Amino acid sequence: MTAYLIRRVFQMIIVVLVSAVATYGLLNLAPGGPLAGLRQIQQSSRFQITEEDIARIRAYFELDLYLPYRFSRWLIGEPRGPVVIGGREFLSDMVVGCRKPVETEVLNNRGVYEFKVTGCNEYVYLKDLVGRRTSRGILFGDFGLSWRLLRDRPVSELLLSRLPKTVQLIGLSTLFSILIGIPLGVYSAVKQYTRFDYFFTSLAFMGSAMPTFFFGILMILAFSLIPKNAGLPYVPAGLSESVRDYAIPLIGDVAAGSLKDRVLHLVLPVSVLTLVNISFWTRFIRSSMLEVLRQDYVRTARAKGLGERIVIMKHALRNALIPFVTIVVFTLPGLFSGAIITESIFAWPGMGRLYLLALGDYDYPVAMSIFFIIAILTVIATLLRDILYTIVDPRIRLS
Amino acid sequence: MSVAQVAELPADTVSTIEERTPFQIVMMRFRRHRLAMVSLILMTAIFIITIFAPVIAPFEVQELSVNKYFVPWGTVDEATGRVHYLGTDHIGRDYFSRLIYAGRISLTVALLSIFIAEVVGIVVGSISGFFGGWLDAVLMRFVEFMLTIPTLPLLLILSSMLLRNEELIPIPDVVLKFLGNIMLLSPRDARNAVMIVLILAGLGWLQSAQLMRGMVLSLREQTFVEASRSLGASNFRIITRDMIPNAMAPIIVDASLGLAGFIVLEAALAFLGFGIQDPIPTWGNMLAATQAHMLSRPWLPLVPGLPIFICSLAFNYIGDGLRDALDPRLKL
Repeated sequence: MTAYLIRRVFQMIIVVLVSAVATYGLLNLAPGGPLAGLRQIQQSSRFQITEEDIARIRAYFELDLYLPYRFSRWLIGEPRGPVVIGGREFLSDMVVGCRKPVETEVLNNRGVYEFKVTGCNEYVYLKDLVGRRTSRGILFGDFGLSWRLLRDRPVSELLLSRLPKTVQLIGLSTLFSILIGIPLGVYSAVKQYTRFDYFFTSLAFMGSAMPTFFFGILMILAFSLIPKNAGLPYVPAGLSESVRDYAIPLIGDVAAGSLKDRVLHLVLPVSVLTLVNISFWTRFIRSSMLEVLRQDYVRTARAKGLGERIVIMKHALRNALIPFVTIVVFTLPGLFSGAIITESIFAWPGMGRLYLLALGDYDYPVAMSIFFIIAILTVIATLLRDILYTIVDPRIRLS
Repeated sequence: MSVAQVAELPADTVSTIEERTPFQIVMMRFRRHRLAMVSLILMTAIFIITIFAPVIAPFEVQELSVNKYFVPWGTVDEATGRVHYLGTDHIGRDYFSRLIYAGRISLTVALLSIFIAEVVGIVVGSISGFFGGWLDAVLMRFVEFMLTIPTLPLLLILSSMLLRNEELIPIPDVVLKFLGNIMLLSPRDARNAVMIVLILAGLGWLQSAQLMRGMVLSLREQTFVEASRSLGASNFRIITRDMIPNAMAPIIVDASLGLAGFIVLEAALAFLGFGIQDPIPTWGNMLAATQAHMLSRPWLPLVPGLPIFICSLAFNYIGDGLRDALDPRLKL
């Protein structure tokens, strides 16, 4: 077991590193970013932006460093300056970037003129990095500063402000899905081919084919917009709490930001997520339960004269839930990826929406941090799943 | 009917199971799945409508009716006598026409992606399963890891990067022109759609590779493969003649279920603003556009939303029916 764990942790580290390289590479290939607007301003004559300004801004965003150095500073916060060994500085004249690149307009193969970097006027050396602001590296929990969404504030601050909202949403909906989904699935399996089973399996089938975004909109229409227009009791949709006080028929006055207000705002997104989850989970539980009910030990239990209830709850359900561990464990990365679609429909200020905003707004540090955390949590969830399997199912041995 | 009576019948009226071709048996089993049949008919109808989109649609895709924003359904255009069957959208484009053209684009994107995904999956899966060794280990570890990462964040990061940097993946103009003709788009707009195809296929092959590898691993031990090999067949021949045809059943089921998934994913990307962009109509971005006008026109989201749901449901049912028909053991 220990040897297995050590090997797995080693594999995890490699996977995390590779995904870090991949994400960073991907987003750095994308154009745009803080300099996209600058070039346009530079072309309009009202603002005189000198070459020096651009160099300063490039340095500010570390865009003057070459990709490997930039990446290593992002990942582990190094290099910060010349290598010091025994009080002596080495490599201080190593070129690590270009402060003022020469850009020429060249005709590309599509017949369009575009700027290409063709040389360098002023290099950045390793010794210039001394005293530059730098993060301690994403591997050590420092995600750097946000570029756009919350300019110059640490990304972690942004993430932490959004995290509770997503935890609320995912936590509640996972809880409800388990509480409702498992009994439904078990009951369907036990009463296989009855009217109840047919009804719920076809409902679950349709539910899993239903796109979340359409379902969310339908829910808003059915429980928020239409009843509101008709003067009936409704549930608010959008944001996690209201900006001003409002009144709902039958429910009464609701103060903005009160507990009642926040609970009311949770209703729709949580129900959408829960229903979507349930439609997948009941099908899963039902088939795994059916599989188990065919097993010999269930027949043995019945033959011993045990009550049907005990057979199902103790003998069958426990074993049917083993594959379910996977699903539950993988809600962990879900906490960070959030429910992107649900959050965006309901304007829920959680992680998923933050991720969308960051991607849409060229805020690479934020987007990369979220994706990186998702990757790490996925790796951890995989390990957790394998370990949990050995606990819930002693037949499985890790080696 | 006794044996003697059967023997007296003319030979061509007696049909036993053995005389049916495998295809007939599959068709017979498929026909038994009523919802799958209904779905198949429905999808055929939708395909025919989208194929004849230019004939059926009364208006051009980008044609603006000035000063006729959100006209109710059934309004007649006085100047030309054409009917806005479903009214117009917020800038006066005919809803019905856009819906049909959008269907053509959405379905083409989904079909193309699933085709590429399955082909790549089959190739990678069979190589990985057949040859094994370190290549297999590395490939499958990669596939496993990619499959555990939540799909949507990955798709979003890929598409946000690729859509802003469309030149990054060079696509031959011939291909763009050809696909543009299928989707009735200019080559420039077609690039946007092709990007989405590549992104969807880029993640879609993982699952079919895993499936194919599993099939190859079990087929490798079969006696007919051994027989082939003892007759001196090359690896290539064994893979293409013995393995792939025998693995087709689960692959086809996987493809039809995957098609449903791709239609929804493509719509989701467009809905979130990271898919095919607005002047090109797709069901996803039409749905996203209705969100802003939901307060005053609550029925509006149904128009682009229902086709997405219907197609997704239909392909799910067809996949379900195919699974029952092709391999009854696979039934959940």
